[in-house]
Amino acid sequence: MFLDFSNKSTWLNQVNPSFKLLLFVFLFVGLLFIDNIHFYLYFTIGLLIIYFLMTGFPIKWLLIFISPFFIIFLSSFISMALFGEGETLWYRFGMIHITQESFFRGIHLGLRGIIFGFLGLIFALTTKPVMFFYSTMQQYRLKPKLAYSFMAAIRLLPMVAEEVYVLKQALKVRGVIFPKGISGFYQRLKYYSVPILAQSIRRAHRIAIAMEAKQFDGNAKRTYYYQSGYSYHDIWFCLLLLGGIMICFFLQNNFTFLPVERVIN
Amino acid sequence: MKNKLTLTDILVTVVIAVVFSVIYKIWGPLYNTLSIFGLHIDQLVYGMWFMAATVAFLIIRKPGVALLAELAAAQGEFLFGGQWGISLLLYGLVQGLGCELIFALFRYKNYQIFVLCLAAIGATIGSLWLDIYYGYITELVWWNLALLILFRTAGAIVITGFFAYYLVKALEKTGVTNLVRPVNETHYKALDEEAR
Repeated sequence: MFLDFSNKSTWLNQVNPSFKLLLFVFLFVGLLFIDNIHFYLYFTIGLLIIYFLMTGFPIKWLLIFISPFFIIFLSSFISMALFGEGETLWYRFGMIHITQESFFRGIHLGLRGIIFGFLGLIFALTTKPVMFFYSTMQQYRLKPKLAYSFMAAIRLLPMVAEEVYVLKQALKVRGVIFPKGISGFYQRLKYYSVPILAQSIRRAHRIAIAMEAKQFDGNAKRTYYYQSGYSYHDIWFCLLLLGGIMICFFLQNNFTFLPVERVIN
Repeated sequence: MKNKLTLTDILVTVVIAVVFSVIYKIWGPLYNTLSIFGLHIDQLVYGMWFMAATVAFLIIRKPGVALLAELAAAQGEFLFGGQWGISLLLYGLVQGLGCELIFALFRYKNYQIFVLCLAAIGATIGSLWLDIYYGYITELVWWNLALLILFRTAGAIVITGFFAYYLVKALEKTGVTNLVRPVNETHYKALDEEAR
């Protein structure tokens, strides 16, 4: 999905893309209601295994992709750890008070950020966008005009990137210097986004008229260039997730080592 | 049926959203860097993530555009491997719904700046609601939570309300908005004038 790194395709690529997304969304909602920190720890380890062994990318790239995870962890962790409610006081300095409860709640949130990051990466690395939109049309009856619009829009991105590059150079040649602070921010926003958006809207309008002429706004009963369907890989994937969750529940009940188990009362 | 979204509306909305999703993606590291200070300074720039909804609505002015734009932008950010991964989609949904509800309250007829500010607040409420479950924000000390809500709302009003409004004003001058906005009474009158 990222640009176009040609990687070797694994069985995760064969799972029906929109089914995969659906499972991940269920997982997301389910994870929100789990407040056991051990479960999260074990689940993270499970995702690490899937991420490194089943996405089919060279390990160097995989490491680069997860490099921002430390900052994600820190950014979710820090507010809760320093300013969260809690009973057992560890440290107090002015407004900052770190308690045992808030500290582990912070870790819990940090892990949560990482888990969702992993799920997103696993999806993105093993799914081709085009196949994703084809499967939403064929299995989940998304209107073709929506799906084809998404596909067309993604195609337009390289042009937008090129325009940004040209714009940057044009502004440089003209010696534009942005002032500091909020007015500078607004000016920068305006100088970049007005031409880019205007150009994009014009282009989108032209393409849309061409697409309408070619009946891309028809109904879901049309024929498709790519066929997408279910296979036994979907069952394996379902079983993998269910098994993983069950193992995590088992470990959570039998192997605990942190002083806090549940992070909210 | 006049207000139904055509392929042109959808494609233009999605393209706007995809442009914004690139901005959203770049916004992530900035937000994270600010958040390390811990006092919710990062919340001041949070409003950027609602901007696709209001900008797209102001340009196309039809029901459903705000929600679609926000969802598409979230989807785009997700597909580019945005760091929040799967949670982006649900945040996109609630934020888009927040904006959409406000526009619906004004029957999609009011494009004034205060409606945009209200939409910004609507999106903020949506994101805060999800944060109760996702970020346990209710477990923060009260003043810290108040600071978070205040900063996020203020930032959203400035970025999603004011910036979006003036950005579209500037876009109107380029003439592109005429391509995609639905025609209204004044256009028909202008035609009548010409016919005479």
